[in-house]
Amino acid sequence: MVNESIALIEKSLISQNIQDYEIFLEEKQSFETIFLKDAVNNEREAKDLEYFIRILNQKEKKTGIGVVRGNSLDSKQIEKNVEYCIQLSKTTLGPKYYFPSKRSIPNVNTADQKIIQDPISLKRDLSEKLILEIRQTPNVQPTFGRFRIHINYGYLKNSNGVDLKSLKTYFFIEFTLKAQKNGMISEYWPLIYIKERNQLDFKQRIATWAKYAKDTLIAKPPMPDNNAIVIFHPHLLKNAINPVIDFHSSGKAFHEKLSTYMIDEKVGSDKLTIYDDGLLEGTLNTNGWDGEGNACQRTAIIKDGIFINRLYDQKYALLEKVSSTGNGRRDENGIVYNGITNLEILSGDVPLEEMIGNIKSGYFIINCAWLNPGEISGSFGTEIRNGYYIKDGKFQNPIKGGNLSGNVLKMMSNCEYISKEREYSSNTLFPYIAFSGLTISY
Amino acid sequence: MNFNIFQDIFAKFEEISNNYKRENQYFDILYDSISSIIIFKTPTSEDISINSKKAGIVARTFTGTWNEIGIQENEDLDIFQKKLPKVTKKGDLISEFEAWSMNKEIQPRIDPKLIPIEEKLEKVRSIFNFIQNFDTRILKTKVKYLETLMTRIFVNNEGSQLRQVLPHIRVYITPVAKEGRKTDFDHFTVGGMKGFEIFEEITDIKLEELAKNSIEMLDAEKAPNGNFPIILDPNMTGLVAHESFGHGLEADQIIRERSYLKDKKNQKVASDICAIYDTPSLENKSGSYFFDDEGIRAGKNALVENGILRNFIYDRRTASLLNALPQGNGRRENYVHTIHPRMSNTYFEPGDYEIDEMISEIKKGVILVEGYFGMEDPLGGGCQCTSRKGYLIENGEKVKLLKRIALSGQVLDLFQNIDAISKDDKNFYCGTCGKGYEDLVPVSSGGPYLRIKKALISPG
Repeated sequence: MVNESIALIEKSLISQNIQDYEIFLEEKQSFETIFLKDAVNNEREAKDLEYFIRILNQKEKKTGIGVVRGNSLDSKQIEKNVEYCIQLSKTTLGPKYYFPSKRSIPNVNTADQKIIQDPISLKRDLSEKLILEIRQTPNVQPTFGRFRIHINYGYLKNSNGVDLKSLKTYFFIEFTLKAQKNGMISEYWPLIYIKERNQLDFKQRIATWAKYAKDTLIAKPPMPDNNAIVIFHPHLLKNAINPVIDFHSSGKAFHEKLSTYMIDEKVGSDKLTIYDDGLLEGTLNTNGWDGEGNACQRTAIIKDGIFINRLYDQKYALLEKVSSTGNGRRDENGIVYNGITNLEILSGDVPLEEMIGNIKSGYFIINCAWLNPGEISGSFGTEIRNGYYIKDGKFQNPIKGGNLSGNVLKMMSNCEYISKEREYSSNTLFPYIAFSGLTISY
Repeated sequence: MNFNIFQDIFAKFEEISNNYKRENQYFDILYDSISSIIIFKTPTSEDISINSKKAGIVARTFTGTWNEIGIQENEDLDIFQKKLPKVTKKGDLISEFEAWSMNKEIQPRIDPKLIPIEEKLEKVRSIFNFIQNFDTRILKTKVKYLETLMTRIFVNNEGSQLRQVLPHIRVYITPVAKEGRKTDFDHFTVGGMKGFEIFEEITDIKLEELAKNSIEMLDAEKAPNGNFPIILDPNMTGLVAHESFGHGLEADQIIRERSYLKDKKNQKVASDICAIYDTPSLENKSGSYFFDDEGIRAGKNALVENGILRNFIYDRRTASLLNALPQGNGRRENYVHTIHPRMSNTYFEPGDYEIDEMISEIKKGVILVEGYFGMEDPLGGGCQCTSRKGYLIENGEKVKLLKRIALSGQVLDLFQNIDAISKDDKNFYCGTCGKGYEDLVPVSSGGPYLRIKKALISPG
């Protein structure tokens, strides 16, 4: 079906004498159980196919790029889409651009065959296990939940000989666990994409979520502090680090003179090393090739606090006369953008427990409302939802409410401790990090 | 299956729907098609992406729980009968509504379909050039034009047959200014259920003001942190009404027992001067439509009147469980996504204050300007809404421009502390709303200026 679809589109492109073209096709399937409290409320399946055609119109020093998106496989509609695309390529004008040529692509396994073989049975089994685990957990009640399996097929073909396929499986869990006692009420609300079946670990996961929900019942507001030391949970760290590193390490931000990062300059603490790794096992955006067909790779962005490499897609690599680092990502409209794949921060040398033990007065924050830092400025301010106040090396009391504010670019230079332990969270593998110089207000 | 005309869709959907008797179970089927044009211009990019048509179909049945299948248009429709169960005598598990029909296409004053793509690109280039050349400190201008045409065709086994075609346009403009190591920006978004006439709202005066504001942001100061009297501009008013309050009223949170507002119906939740509505039937707003994705007619929902909580926001299922009348808030992003009770156009009604009067009465406080983003906390009733910028008020006057400001605290405390509402006409701001972080639907929110006696703010 998919091969036929690509052949249909390619036939239409060739019949209209198009020299420079690319077809990117995605077929996505999802299988979901939605819970109301601890009972099934909705069983869903969805299938979605979509293709993106890009056509280049080469001019002397510029290139026009047409992009068309559709899901109709009707030959007349495909022909119409190709005609639109030709028109767009003649209308736009951007920097010189070529599609990548055929090259060696790393072989990575991103699909779980058990999911491919029978996603419906597996979803049923796993969602039953998940809800059973929750039902057996004392003193918390689920208010709602979603458990979903995704299967994504990807295909990329261009006129320079690139002809690639990918197959990816992953999970999504969103659950709210509520605790209540003596008229007090609290919850923990995680939403998480999980790449591998062995990372689901419902027993450990639910126990941890339930603990956060129950502890928040007795949470107090934090005490104001203009120079607080705060341990970021890996999940919260992802929300802080990703948008800012994504922006400042990109070839695009450098080309546009907006990146504050200069090669070989110190941008972080000595102990901080960050990689972009499109091949990292266990993370969400792993693939052998990027959105343009360049090979994905592991690139050290910051090593021992020094910024050493930028991340390039094909366009900004051409503009800066360097090689692509496999960082051409695709947005939902088929437009390629220059961005991170997966981020990895290397472990530190302090166990988490020891890290907490070293803090005389500070905070351990698990979850905030929405950290969402300014990608250029790095600054943020967000309400605290789940966390702990640390006093004399121990959790003194849970905290909720009040605001955590700071600046991610400055935080990177204020890493006090980096934990030995690390956790996967969507497209990251991050440790716990204690940062100084943050502001807590209430 | 590919359809040529919408009558074919009605006929085919009716045939499928007839397999599921209403007395046995509820069944509906929705055709969802979207076409779009996106133009995005920066100093190094000029991207145009056309989605000529992306269409799919989603069908579902309620038999005590939902079963739902979404497919793309060209798939075999027999899958619905194969996969959606048929049962008996479960039709009364969800309230029944009278059948109705509608076939409505919004015709914008200047139909964007009649405007050549070259002219659209020229408009974008002209805005880009105006701002980019305004001042050398404007390092990067981003202009994004987004035009969509959404068609929804709905049939259910109650006999309803509905069709609506809704055009939307949005234009986003962001000048990024840089001087030395300082970088900042302001932004301007305009949008709604409109046609190409939207460009009449983007005047040279507006663009000049935007460019100047971006440059001024370079010298904006960090906001103070702590508790202050604050004023929310109309954009922030809408953001707070939507994010902090409206999400807690979505009735799925009520039946989940996951809302701080669950037991507050007919109780005081805000100061007497507050009235808040959610109205999908408003004309030409981003969150407007004629019927929702469950075939319920769009209405007007009084959420708060005189500070008293009057209604929740319902879809079919929650209205049925809570014995309420839905106002058309069952919405899905598209055929791949599911339905939840969702907001549409959410707003505060005006009051009787002049904005200058509201400012003049503050000794030391802050105005939060331009709603930037916010996050719901349905169970905890917490508030996080961040403004793009703000002003420090001292002795009744705006004295300093401030960078991003985060507003937090308990929503009910915040609303009880509203002591003045301006008499300005309601302004609406277009946006996209997620349930958690997904299921995105177009919405608008707005209102007049609000003054709050005391609220917790920090740099955002």
